[in-house]
Amino acid sequence: MGFIFLGWSIVRKTIKVGVLYSENGPYGSMGRDCRDGADFAIREIANDPSCSIQIEPVYADPAGDPRRYLEESRAMLRDQGCRQIVGTITSQARKEVIPLVEKYDGLLWYVCAYEGFEANENVIYTGTCPNQHLIPLLDYLLPTFGKKAYVVGANFVWGWEMSRIARELLGHAGGEVLGEHYLPMDDVEVDRLVADIAIKRPNFILNNLVGPSSYAFLAAIAELGKRDQAFRPENCPVVSCDLAECELPFVKVDSAVGQYSVGPYFDSLQTEENRLFKKRVEAWHGAERRLSVFFEGAYTAMKLLAASASAAGTDDPVALKAVLHAAKYDTPHGPLRIDARTNHAALPFHLGRIRADGGFDIALSRPAITADPYLTFGQREAVRPFLRVVQ
Amino acid sequence: MTVALNFLGRRAIVLHQQDGSISRLLRQLSLLGIEFQIQWHPLESHDASADFIFVDADQGWNELFPWGGDQTPMPIIALLQSEAPGRVAWAIENGASAVITKPVVAAAVYPTLVMGTAVFEQRKAAAAQAVRLNELIKMRPLVHRAVQAIQTQQIVDENHAYNTLRDMAMNRRITIEQMAAEILAGAVTLNEVG
Repeated sequence: MGFIFLGWSIVRKTIKVGVLYSENGPYGSMGRDCRDGADFAIREIANDPSCSIQIEPVYADPAGDPRRYLEESRAMLRDQGCRQIVGTITSQARKEVIPLVEKYDGLLWYVCAYEGFEANENVIYTGTCPNQHLIPLLDYLLPTFGKKAYVVGANFVWGWEMSRIARELLGHAGGEVLGEHYLPMDDVEVDRLVADIAIKRPNFILNNLVGPSSYAFLAAIAELGKRDQAFRPENCPVVSCDLAECELPFVKVDSAVGQYSVGPYFDSLQTEENRLFKKRVEAWHGAERRLSVFFEGAYTAMKLLAASASAAGTDDPVALKAVLHAAKYDTPHGPLRIDARTNHAALPFHLGRIRADGGFDIALSRPAITADPYLTFGQREAVRPFLRVVQ
Repeated sequence: MTVALNFLGRRAIVLHQQDGSISRLLRQLSLLGIEFQIQWHPLESHDASADFIFVDADQGWNELFPWGGDQTPMPIIALLQSEAPGRVAWAIENGASAVITKPVVAAAVYPTLVMGTAVFEQRKAAAAQAVRLNELIKMRPLVHRAVQAIQTQQIVDENHAYNTLRDMAMNRRITIEQMAAEILAGAVTLNEVG
C-alpha cells in the first residue's frame, strides 16, 4: 500500500479512473467543462507530494448516446481495470452506468444537479438534489414574485420529475402551476410554448430545459419581454436549476441578462478558496477562464477521490468510502462532507443572476444544506405526531 | 386514487432471517424514513397494525401470516431469489402485491413500495366494490317483486311501476333495493304511491 521507495525517488501507486463525459452532442459544453475540471484535478494530484497515489485517467466520450455510456463504462470497469468512474451528466446516462458499477463493485462519482429519489451505495453524489436546489429556490421566489408558476422542462426524467416536485411544493404553499411543457434537448421550436406563457401570465417561469432548447427559450422570452414588459426578468424571471457559465456563450447573453440560475458554485463566488482556485486554473490554462459548476464539480470529485484513496491506500470502494464519510474536505465552494447514510454531499445554495458579461451575480446564498434525496425532512414535523412506537 | 409517494413514519415488518442479503433493503427503508423490525417467526394478530410486510418468499410458509391470503390487511412485498413457479405462486397466494428480487438493488426498493402500495389499495377498493355489487345482485329479486306489486296494485306497465319505485326511493333518499324491501315488508302502503 501507499508508495514504494526506489532508490531516492518515490513511485506512487497509480489508480486508473474512468472519465466519462459527453464532450460532443447536445450537452457537450457541460461535458467539456467536466472533463477539463477532472483534468485540472489530476494535474494537481500529480504535483501534490502529500498524495500517495496518482490518477491515470481513462477517457471516453459517449457523445450523448445512452448505449455508448453502457459500452464505455463496461470497458472501463471490466477491461481497463478502473474501479472508479467520474462521469455522466444526465440521469439516463447515470442509470445506464449504475448496474455496472454495482456488478463490478466500483464507484460512480456523479457531480451534477439531479432530481433526487436515488441513494445508491455505489454512487457518490457531489451535485445537488431538490432540497438543495428547488426547495430553497421556491422559498425565495414565492414571496418575492408570486405563487403562479409556469414550468418548462427537458423531455426526460429530469424535466418531468422537477415539474412534479414543483407542482407538489407549490400546492402545499397555496400556489399553482399554470402550465407545463416539455421539449427534447435539441428542439428549438419554442414559439407555441412562449405564446402559451404570454396568455397564462405566470409570476415566474421554472426552466428545466437542457441545452439548445433552453437557449432558444431564453431568447424567445427576451423577445416577449420587449413586447410586453410583464415578461421582463424583473417582473417574471426565468429561473433555471441547471444553467451554468459554460453554456452562456451559446445563449445570446443580452437575451438572458437578469434571468436566474441556481447552483452550489458560481465563478463569481467571493471567497478566498475560490479566488485561489481561479488563480491556479488560470496558471494551468494559460489565461483567465470563467469556471462553471461542472468544472468545479468534476474537479472537486476527482480531488475527493484522490484524497480518500490516498488516505485509504487503495481504490477499494468500501475502504475508500469509510475514509470519505469520516473526513471533511476543503473545496472551492467551501468545506464539504459526504453523508454516510445517503452518499450525498451537503452543499450550499447560491442564486445567480446573469450579467451582461456572461457571468452571474450572486443574489442570495445559503450555507451547506444536508441532502435529502427522498424529500423526507420537510414532512417530518407534519408526520411526527402520527409516528408509532416500534415494539 | 392518490398514490402514496412518501413513507416517512410508516412501519414495516421484515419476515426474513437476519443475514446480509437484506442489508441493502434495510438501508433503503431507513433512508425513506420507514421504521422496521426483522423477525423470522409467524406474525401475531396485533402485527396487523404494521403498514407493510416484506417476506422471504424463497423460504416462507403459510403459517407466517395469521390471516388468509385474500384478507391481508396491508401490502405484502415478496423478496424472491428463486424463479421456481411454486415460490412465485406462494407469494401470490399469500397476498403479495409486488416483488423485490434478491440480491436487492437499491433502485428497486422505493418504486416497489409505491407500486405495491398502489396495487394493494386498488385491490382493496375493487373488493369493496365487489361486496357492494354482490349485495345489489342479491336484492334484485326483491326489486322485481316490488315492481310486480306496484304493477298489480296500480294497473300500470313494468316501466311505469319501476319509475314509481325509483321516485319513492329518491324522495326518501334510500336505495331502490331498500325501498323495495320496505314495500314488500308492508312498511309502506302502496296507496301512498303515485
